[in-house]
Amino acid sequence: MAEHLSTSARAAGAQPVPIAERLRRRRRIGESMIQALLWLCGAVSILTTLGIVIVLGRESWLFFGDEAVSLIEFFGSTTWQPAIGHFGIWPLLLSTLITSTIAISVAVPIGLAAAIYLSEYASPRVRAWIKPILEILAGIPTVVYGFFALYFMTPLLRAIFGPDTVQIFNMASAGLVMGIMITPIICSMSEDALSAVPRALREGAYGLGATRFEVATRVVLPAALSGILAAVIVGVSRAIGETMIVAIAAGAGPNFTFNPFQAAETMTGHIARISGGDISYASIDYNSLFAIGLTLFVMTLSLNLLSQRIVRRFREVYE
Amino acid sequence: MAAETVELPPVDPAEVQGNIITAGSSTVFPLTQAIAERFQSEGYTGNITIDSIGTGAGFERFCKAAETDIANASRAIKEEEAQACRDKGREPLEFRVGTDALAVVVSSENDFLEELSLEQLAQIFSGQVKNWNELNPSYPAQPIQLYSPGTDSGTFDYFVEAVLEKDKEKLLSVQGVQFSEDDNVLVQGIEGSPYAIGYFGYAYYQENQGRLKPLRIDGVAPTEETAESGEYPLSRPLFIYSAKTIMDQKPQVAAFINYYLSTVEDVILDVGYFPASAEALNQAKQRWLEATGQ
Repeated sequence: MAEHLSTSARAAGAQPVPIAERLRRRRRIGESMIQALLWLCGAVSILTTLGIVIVLGRESWLFFGDEAVSLIEFFGSTTWQPAIGHFGIWPLLLSTLITSTIAISVAVPIGLAAAIYLSEYASPRVRAWIKPILEILAGIPTVVYGFFALYFMTPLLRAIFGPDTVQIFNMASAGLVMGIMITPIICSMSEDALSAVPRALREGAYGLGATRFEVATRVVLPAALSGILAAVIVGVSRAIGETMIVAIAAGAGPNFTFNPFQAAETMTGHIARISGGDISYASIDYNSLFAIGLTLFVMTLSLNLLSQRIVRRFREVYE
Repeated sequence: MAAETVELPPVDPAEVQGNIITAGSSTVFPLTQAIAERFQSEGYTGNITIDSIGTGAGFERFCKAAETDIANASRAIKEEEAQACRDKGREPLEFRVGTDALAVVVSSENDFLEELSLEQLAQIFSGQVKNWNELNPSYPAQPIQLYSPGTDSGTFDYFVEAVLEKDKEKLLSVQGVQFSEDDNVLVQGIEGSPYAIGYFGYAYYQENQGRLKPLRIDGVAPTEETAESGEYPLSRPLFIYSAKTIMDQKPQVAAFINYYLSTVEDVILDVGYFPASAEALNQAKQRWLEATGQ
């Protein structure tokens, strides 16, 4: 190897112009076109994001600039009824938080356990079967999950807890089904993180006499923590932004309640329902939707930033 | 009495020329729109404008501004509006085209409620009464679950007008009401609990009869007859208005009204309203014949 390197270096040095220099000078039209194309693709996604931020910002500015709206009311009041001038974000925000919490508490244990099984226990043949099935689960349209929540999960909950306790539209069923929807994402991302842990660590632990379970939970899991946390945060963002399931199953009216068996509308569900009706564009109701959108955007953005920090902080670097 | 059907001369929409301007009630809007679409699909090539601006504003534009050809209305014209029309040389001609009625419904599992007064309805939908037993001690001690069409719908406006003294704040400030523009969502929700109550257009109830129970309001059950006669308190007539002078000057308007009256019965149930009675429709057709001198 060393021999080979030194000969090629000598060969390059013998040329009057270094070969790298000559290659750089040669014009390659195909190459630069591809470069331009790739640059354009990157620019499109950034410009789109920028456009969204501008539109959200401008319309929300109109909303918060209206004299009927105060920031104190927006973040302090528990009534949201734009038609009569009540703009308190809490009923919508609380219901988003409740459904997302339920979803995450379903998806994280199941998804993580499945990821540990796939990466540490499953034989390659079993993995070859299970991964595609999980991916199918991830590919089901969310509207289908929504009706699954309404026609399967809700009747199930009502059979368990009684129809008087559980309303037909309720946050629990939407949250549970949302959890099922997010499970494959968390599983697949965590599995990637677990598989990326170097074999040497596992073998070292086995060499010290650790059992499989100890290796998985005490060695591999902590080593992959940053990737797993990132997976969880992506899952939380998905849950917060999910629209169709909550629009169908969680309820269609703002309701400030901590009871997950009651109907309450989430932020996304509210936007979907109101923008489906025929409100006029110049009205404050319409602008209020952008304020909700902006709140959602800020929430998911800060989650993403948080996940980046966590990944950097907890990342274990191996050679 | 089985009245004989008055027949109007056939219209060929393909031969009708010139534009038609209509404006008025948002309730009549979908009906006029459905008929206009049919008129166009059968060959009419002109423009029909249908502005959904409310009955009062519709009369304003028809009488005072005298700029529309037809006024869509969900109530009869008032005397001062009719006077304003006459001042502009437009003697208003009323054509009854149908009836709109709201059904107040509960789940068919509900075995305690058959009837409510308008006053009780107002108490329920303004949150003054939160549990069923507050209404009547013999009813179950369960919270009332409310379902309502969304604030954009004409049904919501009409309910607020007829039951809540035009004050929508009463209903909107109640915590936990489920609003939906999608009537299916309402049906599912109301059907799902014996303690739920809601309302929507009567025609929609008819499609879901087995699953829901309509309530008598002030002792009157909603039927086609009680809605038509106005005996059922949550019903209102639907009209279009024009004038002989307009129909003379613009034959396309006369042709469109003729087409309207001849086809409305086929279209109206799909739009969600009741047909006018045979008598009322005959009277409207008779009026058309007189106005056009046929």
